[in-house]
Amino acid sequence: MCTNYTGFKLLLCCLLLSTVRGWVWECTPAGSCQRRDPHVNDTFFNSLDVCRLVCGDRGNIWPLPANYTTKNKDLVYIDAKNIVFSIDCPTTSANIYLGNVVDYFKDVINENDEQNCSKTKYKLILNVNVANSILILNYKTSEEYSLDITTDSSSKTVTVNIIAVTIFGARHAFESLLQLIETESTADETCFVTLKEVSIQDKPKYKHRGLLLDSARNFLSVEVIKKNIIAMGMSKLNTLHWHMSDSQSFPFVSARVPNMTSYGAYSAAQTYSPYEIRDLLQFAKLHGVRIIPEIDGPAHTGSGWQWGADAGLGDLIVCYNKLPYKSFCIQPPCGQMNPANPNLYQVLGNIYADILDLWTDGLDLFHMGGDEVYIPCWNSSQEIVNYIDNNRSPEAFHKLWSEYQEKALSAFDAVNADATEPSSAILWTSSLTEISHVEKYVPKERYIIQTWVSKSDPLPKELLDLGYKLIISTKDSWYLDHGFWGTTKYYTWRTVYDNTILNDAAVLGGEVCMWGELVDNSNVEPRVWPRAAAAAERLWTNPSTTSIEATSRFFSHNDRLARRGVRTSPVVPKYCSQSHSDCIGYLVT
Amino acid sequence: MKQGELRRTLIVATFLCFSLFVYLYWQQGTRPLHSLVLTYKRIYTSSRKSYPAQWTWHCVNQKCERHIVSEKSIITGLSTCNMLCGSTQLWPQPTGPVTLGSKALSFNHAQLQFANSTLLNEALASFNDTVLSLVRSDVTKRPDLNKFIVRIHITHSAISRLKLKTDESYSLTLKCTKNKEIVASIGAKTYFGARHGLETLAQLIWWDDYRQTLMVLKGATIQDKPKFPYRGLMIDTARNFMSIESLKRVLIGMSATKLNIFHWHLSDSQSFPVVLPRVPQLAKTGAYGPEKTYLPEEVKALVEFARVRGIRTILEVDTPAHAGNGWDWGPREGLGELAVCVNERPWSLYCGEPPCGQLNPENPNVYDVLEKIYRDLLELSGEKEIFHLGGDEVNLECWAQHLQKTNYSDLHDLWGEFTLKALERLQKANDNQPIPHVILWSSKLTKRPYLTKYLNKSQMTVQSWGGSQWSDTPDLIADGYQVLISHVDAWYLDCGFGRWRETGEAACDPYRPWQVVYNHRPWQQFRLNKNQILGGEACLWTEQVDESNLDTRLWPRAAAFAERMWSDPELDTTTFGIQEDVYTRLSTLRDRKSKKSKKSWAKP
Repeated sequence: MCTNYTGFKLLLCCLLLSTVRGWVWECTPAGSCQRRDPHVNDTFFNSLDVCRLVCGDRGNIWPLPANYTTKNKDLVYIDAKNIVFSIDCPTTSANIYLGNVVDYFKDVINENDEQNCSKTKYKLILNVNVANSILILNYKTSEEYSLDITTDSSSKTVTVNIIAVTIFGARHAFESLLQLIETESTADETCFVTLKEVSIQDKPKYKHRGLLLDSARNFLSVEVIKKNIIAMGMSKLNTLHWHMSDSQSFPFVSARVPNMTSYGAYSAAQTYSPYEIRDLLQFAKLHGVRIIPEIDGPAHTGSGWQWGADAGLGDLIVCYNKLPYKSFCIQPPCGQMNPANPNLYQVLGNIYADILDLWTDGLDLFHMGGDEVYIPCWNSSQEIVNYIDNNRSPEAFHKLWSEYQEKALSAFDAVNADATEPSSAILWTSSLTEISHVEKYVPKERYIIQTWVSKSDPLPKELLDLGYKLIISTKDSWYLDHGFWGTTKYYTWRTVYDNTILNDAAVLGGEVCMWGELVDNSNVEPRVWPRAAAAAERLWTNPSTTSIEATSRFFSHNDRLARRGVRTSPVVPKYCSQSHSDCIGYLVT
Repeated sequence: MKQGELRRTLIVATFLCFSLFVYLYWQQGTRPLHSLVLTYKRIYTSSRKSYPAQWTWHCVNQKCERHIVSEKSIITGLSTCNMLCGSTQLWPQPTGPVTLGSKALSFNHAQLQFANSTLLNEALASFNDTVLSLVRSDVTKRPDLNKFIVRIHITHSAISRLKLKTDESYSLTLKCTKNKEIVASIGAKTYFGARHGLETLAQLIWWDDYRQTLMVLKGATIQDKPKFPYRGLMIDTARNFMSIESLKRVLIGMSATKLNIFHWHLSDSQSFPVVLPRVPQLAKTGAYGPEKTYLPEEVKALVEFARVRGIRTILEVDTPAHAGNGWDWGPREGLGELAVCVNERPWSLYCGEPPCGQLNPENPNVYDVLEKIYRDLLELSGEKEIFHLGGDEVNLECWAQHLQKTNYSDLHDLWGEFTLKALERLQKANDNQPIPHVILWSSKLTKRPYLTKYLNKSQMTVQSWGGSQWSDTPDLIADGYQVLISHVDAWYLDCGFGRWRETGEAACDPYRPWQVVYNHRPWQQFRLNKNQILGGEACLWTEQVDESNLDTRLWPRAAAFAERMWSDPELDTTTFGIQEDVYTRLSTLRDRKSKKSKKSWAKP
């Protein structure tokens, strides 16, 4: 810090700095780390992260493992830069994947510098055993793992055994292990430490643990999406729901229908090329994340679809950019697909084919959108009104809508003929999924419904009772865009964490949603993080305890995200994360 | 060339190609197979690619409309269309007459020349940086211009310190001569006016993405001066630490929007990051860590960085409340307890937010320490016209529980006496000269009856931060005090992120979008005497802010505030809607700024 100074100023600077206190931390009997003055007691820790590693029964891993025990909480210094890896897995491809995970693991370790470590460093042996050759992450993929750390003092060896069914479980184990290795710094040296004996058996409570990113209202760069994926992997979120297109823009470059981006992208630079998407998919997979694409329809379409008539295909959409917008859609510019035009399904099929070309792991699940269809828009098109024989009743429009769903889904199936079984499609809740007629329009063997209603709304339970599979995005807890427009409220990490969702085998999981009207590269990270991590623990662990009990571990995870370069927001003054128990508003015995 | 030579050349060339091919093939073969697969490390960068124009913008009814590019269309980029269509693209909007040309000319950065301007080195350097930051590529095409000359004339060039009475006005003309030379002339009374003129000039220059060149308007005349002398922004570096680098980004944004006061809330009960030469114990025992400190030299350098950008820095060490960590060394040095209820639990009994702490007004040593602090702050900032004493949210329960001999029937008197003693020490620290404007946060002490009992209206200014509907501000004005406006429900930029404490309510929800910040005009709404309003200050408290989100939480809302303070535009009092040109101008500003700084602005 004094590097900018010379001579007298340098001397002064060093003098002043040397007087500034480095804090130490005490692990209190209550199990929390308390900031203390240095040199009071040499059992105190001189690093908050090391104190957090040792202190408390639940350890410091986020999300909380299903089962975490420590037989010996003594610290052991390890030679983290010379780990001996031994990987046992059934196939070469699985081996390659784990090789990449190991590279990632080493990179994270290497972000910390070990300096002049004079302690006796134990050798670290890491054994990974993966039973299964599965390379694809979906609902059938086991993500469970066990991780055991044992220490043998006679041979000065720390052994880590990771056992998992699939490579994805093993990858989660690596994330947990990274959270068990901290650096301990004193004035003279920095060393890597871990605990002597730890045993973890872990698996998620929900299969679908998602974050929605919207790259249509405002463009998000591939780099920024990757930053989010890194943070997702660290928090064991496994699904990126990519809301790729909307009425405002269409950034997905379709090889078969290049007009979509020529007419729909904000600029040629603000697009996702096939190369970029393949790269992103690979990147996500390495971080244990699958990407589910959503081409929203029949509403939330507009920009990108205007070229139909000029190309001789007729109108693919209607009421595009029609004013006053409030009469025809939720937000400008308006636009809705034209289900009366058979060419629409041709174009959709081509777009789906492009997506399937890129998603080389196949798509047993994709998102069809399906929210906020605005009947007055369709009603304003003579072509559509003629198509439904001038019957302008709500039922007629719902029938038309379900006809769209059926034809769009067939267009998908037609280009997905190689699949061994038909894919599932996700639909947002809407007037089509109302309990009174949902079974008529939405076949439950093909569709999963994503609910986005408030906590108190009975709809999820009712849909569940009818036998639908659900993904839940509680609107008044998990909509991360709220608090900046209208009368909506901002949800703190505690609200996000304390939102529990239905517990049933048919509830696949949930998603936090980051809609993009007021978010772009500049502010998406601090708006999503660390709140998405709070939902991650709800979905992975679903603890019976509340955010109160998770507080200090959460602060620790937030620090960890920041250290890894994620632009995550602080949730308290730093004092409260350095000395959490001083900031509790009630007396703790 | 003979046929044989050609043949030989071709054979040699083929051979070379083949060898190269073999070499490359060999190289590839020695890499492990999986390295051919895309790995997670490959982060794709799109910045180097160039793309064909896809959209063109047409000016229709003073608005730029987007059209798809066809073979026939004239291609105009959005920035060029906006600059030449309807309203100005200036922010804040000038208050004097403005005429702008409707044509634009291209030029190269290298063509900029600065005439007779040695006094303005720093201002010109920062202007030059701004122009340079617009440049997206170094494609050199023949520009329309031959030269771009900037002339500056200052009548009172000796004034190097900004004061409340300093003339910040300027005039600017932009003319194109027959020789295709642009001459920009800026006239001002002071350096500070001229500097504002340069900021405005920079906003008449833009980058055309399609032509890949810098552009400037062909002609312009502008006269401009601010409506308020105090246009402030407060940043709190005690709840969470902000690096000097991040504070520089804030100052750059302020200078671009002509804000002129950086109120630096240095310390609070949570931490004391500034290393004061006379009292280093404060940072020693109060900083979050050795790397979370500001050294005296760093503070001075930042003050100078701000000064050349037309911004004065006001350093605040808040007392007697909002002081805790950093004040616990008294007993060790034989000075007794300097602060009481430090980190006391449960905090909710003794302060508004954890951790607690309040100075001990009964300990005479406290005032000696304060005098030393004030000396250091005056020296570090060089600011002797305005001083901020802090003074908010004193919790009398903390004093009642912890003080020894409370023979006060009303502890407000203890608080009032503390304030008078602090003022006395401030004057001593300033070589016995009174500071003309001493600011206090509004509190119980700035209300009747304590207000008139303890605070001298010729010296004290109250920073009124209560709700805009409260009677605080009108009362202060009725009682004859100078007021600085920071209404919590309009200009507190930290609000809206819920409660961060485990108990209690959210402090000041909801979030105020930029439109609310912009439309806040209490002097008109409550018919307040503008002569008693020094100006306004937007505040960013940082319980839930650090470097990761500092920029996005400030901008563009602080810019909306800046235009309110500089131009004070009329409100449409029937609809309270915002004119369409404000949206366009703000989004132009955002585009310019986000091109400039990597950590860019939040979406408006």
